[in-house]
Amino acid sequence: MIASARRSFAIAGATFTELARLRVFYVLILFALVLIFSATFLARISFQQELQVTRDIALGAIDFFLSLLAIVATAQLLPRDLEDRVVYSILAKPVRRFEYLLGKFFGALALLAASLVVMSILCLIVLHFREAAALRSAQQQLAPLGAEQVAVATRAIHIAGVNPVFFSALAFTLLKTAVLVAITLAVSSFATSSIFTISALAMVFLIGHLEGIARDYWLSEHAVGWVTRAFLAVIVFVFPDFEAFNLSDQLAGSALLAAPLLLKTGLLALFYIVSYLIVAVAIFSQREL
Amino acid sequence: MTESAIRVARVSKYFISPFRRRVTVGLSDLNLEIAPGEVYGLLGPNGSGKSTTLKIILGLIPPTRGDVTIFGQEHNSVRTRRHIGFLPENAYYHKFLTGAETLRFHAKLSGLSARETPARIDDLLELVGLTRARQARLSTYSKGMLQRIGLAQALIHDPKILVLDEPTAAVDPAGSRDIQNLIASLKARGVTVLLSSHLLTQVQEVCDRVGILHRGKLLREGRLDELLAVENQMELVLENASPELLTNIEREVTAAQARVITRRTSLTSLEQFFLKVTHDSKE
Repeated sequence: MIASARRSFAIAGATFTELARLRVFYVLILFALVLIFSATFLARISFQQELQVTRDIALGAIDFFLSLLAIVATAQLLPRDLEDRVVYSILAKPVRRFEYLLGKFFGALALLAASLVVMSILCLIVLHFREAAALRSAQQQLAPLGAEQVAVATRAIHIAGVNPVFFSALAFTLLKTAVLVAITLAVSSFATSSIFTISALAMVFLIGHLEGIARDYWLSEHAVGWVTRAFLAVIVFVFPDFEAFNLSDQLAGSALLAAPLLLKTGLLALFYIVSYLIVAVAIFSQREL
Repeated sequence: MTESAIRVARVSKYFISPFRRRVTVGLSDLNLEIAPGEVYGLLGPNGSGKSTTLKIILGLIPPTRGDVTIFGQEHNSVRTRRHIGFLPENAYYHKFLTGAETLRFHAKLSGLSARETPARIDDLLELVGLTRARQARLSTYSKGMLQRIGLAQALIHDPKILVLDEPTAAVDPAGSRDIQNLIASLKARGVTVLLSSHLLTQVQEVCDRVGILHRGKLLREGRLDELLAVENQMELVLENASPELLTNIEREVTAAQARVITRRTSLTSLEQFFLKVTHDSKE
């Protein structure tokens, strides 16, 4: 057990280093940074709205670029090892194929977690300065109207900035990314090129974001038959609902997230991660290298 | 009776194209028995089934039918693979790692303890002549250096069996000679070596036995001295022989109703000549 974990850990370490040195990684980080900073130059509506828009765009950018990075980086892992024949020297060693795949999964996840930390820190710095500026402006402009008005505006600005839900939103983004890595590995385990994997994952990403809307629309129709219901059930089972990881509605308020929601989302992510990793291992174990 | 190091029994491999429904025969009813400590060469043209045989032995692809055992054990198990080192053909490894990091990575995969790994890495880098390049990234290595670091990773866990797929491909004559010497020293230590190659001269120099594969079938197999011996012919190599001595020998040969087929000055091989010239220029 310990030896098995040690082998997976070694592969995870090499995968982390490999991905960290990919140029695409730096480009994506750069894009995310550009977007985060561009959010600060948006048209001002009101103090708290400006801050809220900045925060939402920054979170959206982190979510988008982290998802993109998860798909593009993970899709390259297996084809690259096969092309360079690295996989032969690894699997000729006392390494089981599931250990190899787990190493790839955790290596990719470690890199994405590190990326998330970097992007989050930058995002927090930007939001901190925007919040401070908004507070100063509010105090200057609303001071003549009285202390009560200033207090109301201050509270609204705090809610629009970094509230406790913000950190939950970041954690949910990482969960969603972990699900994407697992699905990408599952597709990669039988795909013959990274282009195919990326294309397939783009569809999964799209379906995962739209299935909630489609499901609500179809199920609201009274005449919906069992065929439609069965089809929807299959879609829901196969494709994770990525909107479940989106906390934009909860971000509007500052209330802490309810424990059942956290547990439900965590279990949902765990279900898909484990299921898709099992699929990946089952397919890759049979693959002729 | 000694257990075979590698035993391949009636192994066939068919590659089936899923859409065209075409079947390609990779191997057909292959039988191999390699004894412990033996150096066995698998010869054949491209596409003859050499790499397929090695991949089946290593468990990278399953045979369509037949059995493979390593020291009498199931060839696919993790425990069995502790005894095997493998050098793939034209492998590139992780380009972003240095030579020492590559060996450390493979040491972890092989289950070497953190205590014994540094000394093992030093020894192997010394053995393959890469001590000075230990901190250089593999992306800066030449093909010959990559082949040598490949050999080092294959030997990191001190395997009982070494499987080499085209070990001297893309290596210069000096590097090729080093690899041959290394194989000879491993044989002296009792390591079983199975190598595939189409470079016949090198195989001839290092292998105890060879098998010739063609279109997935083992056409001939045996000890080199048995396979290559020309019946009823002998060679006699002389040093400092005078013309008179040679004339006397020829006369004796004729008198004994034998025949001198050829008489010529001994030639060194082009490889030996190249190695001598390049070695002299270094000095």
